[in-house]
Formats: sequence, structure tokens, C-alpha cells
Amino acid sequence: MSDAPGLRAIDGLQLDDEHRAVLKPGAEVPFADGVVHSLPRFFYEVPSWQAAHEIEVAAHFKLSELLMVDCREAPLQLRQFPHHVPCAIVLLARYLELFRIKAGAPVFVAANGGYRSPSHRLNHRESMHQWATAANIYRVGDTYLDDEAAIQKYARIANSIGDEVFVRPYAQGDDHLHMDIGVVTLTPRELNEVKP
Amino acid sequence: MTNADQLRHAIEQIAAEADTAAVGVAVRDYEHGSEFQLHAERRFHAASTIKVAVLLAVFRALDEHRLQLDDPLHVRNRFLSAVDQTPYRLDADSDGYAPLYKLVGRTAKIGDLADCMITSSSNLATNLLLDFVTVEYAREVLRHAGVSGVDLRRGVDDQKAFRAGLNNETTAQGLCDLFGVLRGDFLSKTSREAAIAILLRQRFDSMLPAHLPSHATVAHKTGEISIACHDAGIVYVPERQPYVVAILTEVKADGAQRRETVAKISRAIFDAIVGTSAP
Repeated sequence: MSDAPGLRAIDGLQLDDEHRAVLKPGAEVPFADGVVHSLPRFFYEVPSWQAAHEIEVAAHFKLSELLMVDCREAPLQLRQFPHHVPCAIVLLARYLELFRIKAGAPVFVAANGGYRSPSHRLNHRESMHQWATAANIYRVGDTYLDDEAAIQKYARIANSIGDEVFVRPYAQGDDHLHMDIGVVTLTPRELNEVKP
Repeated sequence: MTNADQLRHAIEQIAAEADTAAVGVAVRDYEHGSEFQLHAERRFHAASTIKVAVLLAVFRALDEHRLQLDDPLHVRNRFLSAVDQTPYRLDADSDGYAPLYKLVGRTAKIGDLADCMITSSSNLATNLLLDFVTVEYAREVLRHAGVSGVDLRRGVDDQKAFRAGLNNETTAQGLCDLFGVLRGDFLSKTSREAAIAILLRQRFDSMLPAHLPSHATVAHKTGEISIACHDAGIVYVPERQPYVVAILTEVKADGAQRRETVAKISRAIFDAIVGTSAP
């Protein structure tokens, strides 16, 4: 057992074929610039939606807030439990907590705006959502981030957290602020990194 | 239909009295296997009647296991114009169901969105569903169903497309065919019954059903935009097979009067098909 969010951590390479086809643990992803990154290999196993609602991954963020997807997600991750989420989700939550403190108001992550499996239809190969290190924030307090002024305001706050935080520049029609912490994977200390 | 000439005369008289610029009517009576057409191939702006085509596509997708009615769908108020793919938003104040905008950022069930799209004529629900199933898929469903008179080209309230003349269009015959498909065996029995149940819950009842006797029930969808004022649906009367009717108009008169015109035409059709003895 991992003591991070109170969930069992597992090696994705030891999952059954069906889950590995959806989660692609450790698969290499070539980015447009020629750099190759590996998808997350280690996951937390989420036994139920109720558990996701109850587990706090940061002081003001429940795990469920970062797992809400729609039917563009692979059925295995949408309709069946356990769900699997990369262990780096806890790091994303810490950054969101920092963002919340700096923004001084509750932060709301959109559906499909937290972790999306590599099989999610909205993903492209460089999407940080499949590393569970990206968040699409659609609302801060009572402010909906659906115009340039609101998005720019909170983009500056996100950028102020640190150089490792990437904020996507505003584009016409945006309805959320995208922030991520890049390609980060996390290996729980009790799990063996030697490939099975 | 033995009294087609009388019905044609009655409709033309109602239309003339209301200063109607154009009227298109198509009827198919499943009791006698008869049909009636009046300018049934004239093309009109489809307005919200296009939502019936989206409904058919959603339930066809359900039958093809592409979705489930209790699947969640991300509620976003951001769509891409059919003209140039630039983003646009819908106005909650002019939508038929403003409460749906409170779910922006979260999810709504596909079945609930389909219900909203028809019963409350929600533009947001329509565009969310169409965005998900795609215009191309919905057009393919119409083609496969043999509905050639309904031309679905884009989401609703796409102002840039409207200014470019890129609109959803329909003929009365097209809508009549579409409702015929809905009650036929194109969809599975479960999907057919669910789709018609939604249409029976229609909240806007000031046209097709307005002057019909209380024992008639109507599964229908209205559509109004600019000068276009339409209603189409399936009319169920006890002890007989239903009839499908589409009444499309272009009327300069204000909302209440132009709806009354459609309501009067609907009653004239009912009298011609079912008989005038009904109260």
C-alpha cells in the first residue's frame, strides 16, 4: 500500500491486457520536436467513485475533481472500477493548491480537464493530461474563465508559482485556463522499477 | 384522403387571412395509407425543427452502441462555426433552457440533454449533442434513413454561418419523412419508444396540438426563427393509426398570431383526416 492518498499503488505493466491497452503504461511517445517521453507506468487504483469523492489529494481538492471525464474517455476508465490514475496526480493537486492560495478563491477543474487516459478521444500525443500533470481550470471563485481578461489574470498567477509551470497562452474563444507541470512521473517507493 | 381539394382550399384560406408569405404542408395518414402535400418540397429555414434530426442521430448512435443515454457529456459553451471553424458561444438569455448553462464545466447525461433539446428546445443541448455525434454522422443517419428533405449543415445559432447563408433547411415533406422514420423500424423498439416519449413531453404546445381535441396527443417539435414558424409531429388519436404532419410557414405577423395560423392549419388537417365530429 502507498501512504500517499490512501490508495493502492500498482505497476501498470502488471495489469491485464485490456487495461494496458487503454493506459499504455510506460509507452514511448515521440513529441513533434523529436524528444521521446514515456507515459506513466505507476498508477493509483481507485476502487469506486465514492472513494474518489472522499479522498483528498490536497487540502482543497478531492481526487474525483481531477478524474471527471465524459464519454470521450475509454469505456474501461469511464464505466468500470477500479479506475487507474498516474501517481503524479498528487503533485498536480499540490500545484493546484498553491494556485488556489495565490488566487485566493476556490478553483474548479473542468470535466475532461484533469487526468485523461491515453485512449481518451480528446488527447493528442503531447497532451499532459495523460501524465495527470495538467488541469483545465474553468472557474475561480465566481469568475468563469471564458474571456481574455479573466484568463490572463489567472495565467499570471499560475506563472508566478514557478518556472516549471506551463500556462497555455490565451487563444480566441478559450473557455478555460490550461496549466501543467510538464512530463512528470512518480514511482512510489515500495514499487520495483525493474520491468517484469 | 378524399377531401384533399377541400383541405388545400382551407389551408390556403387560413394562410391568406394571416398574410402568410409561404406555407408548406405534408401529411401521411397511417390509418388509410394516404398522403397530402401542399408546397411540400419548398425549402424553409429549419429553425429548431432540425433538433428532431439530431434526436434521430442520437438514438441511432445508441442503437449502434456509440453512446449510452446515461453517459456523461462535458457541458461547454464553445462551438466552432461551420464557416471557418472559429469559436462562438450561445446566449443563455435567448436559449429555451437557461438552467443548463449552470452546468458549464461539468457534465450532463446524454439522455437529459436529448430531453432538454426537444422539450425545452435547448440550443446548448443541441449543439453539445451534435458536436459529440458530429454533423457528418447525423447527415449519414438521415441519408441512411432515406430522409432527403432535411438538410442538416451546422449547429444552431451559428451567426457567422447564418450571415454566410449556410443554414439548416427542410421541406415539409422532409420533416414528414423524418417523423415517419422515427415511428418506423429504423430505430430499435427501445430507442423508438424513448425518442417518441421525449417528443410527447414537448412543452411548447401553442401550435400543432393547440386546437385539437383533448383526446389527441402529439409528439412534436416546434421551430421559430425570424419569419419562420413551424411545427411537425405525430398525432395520436384513439382507435386509429396516427398521422404525421409537418406545417412550415413564413409569416410576418408577431409570435402569437403566427402560431395561431399553424394551429388553425393543424385543426383543418385533423378535421379532414379524422373528421369534424370531434369536439
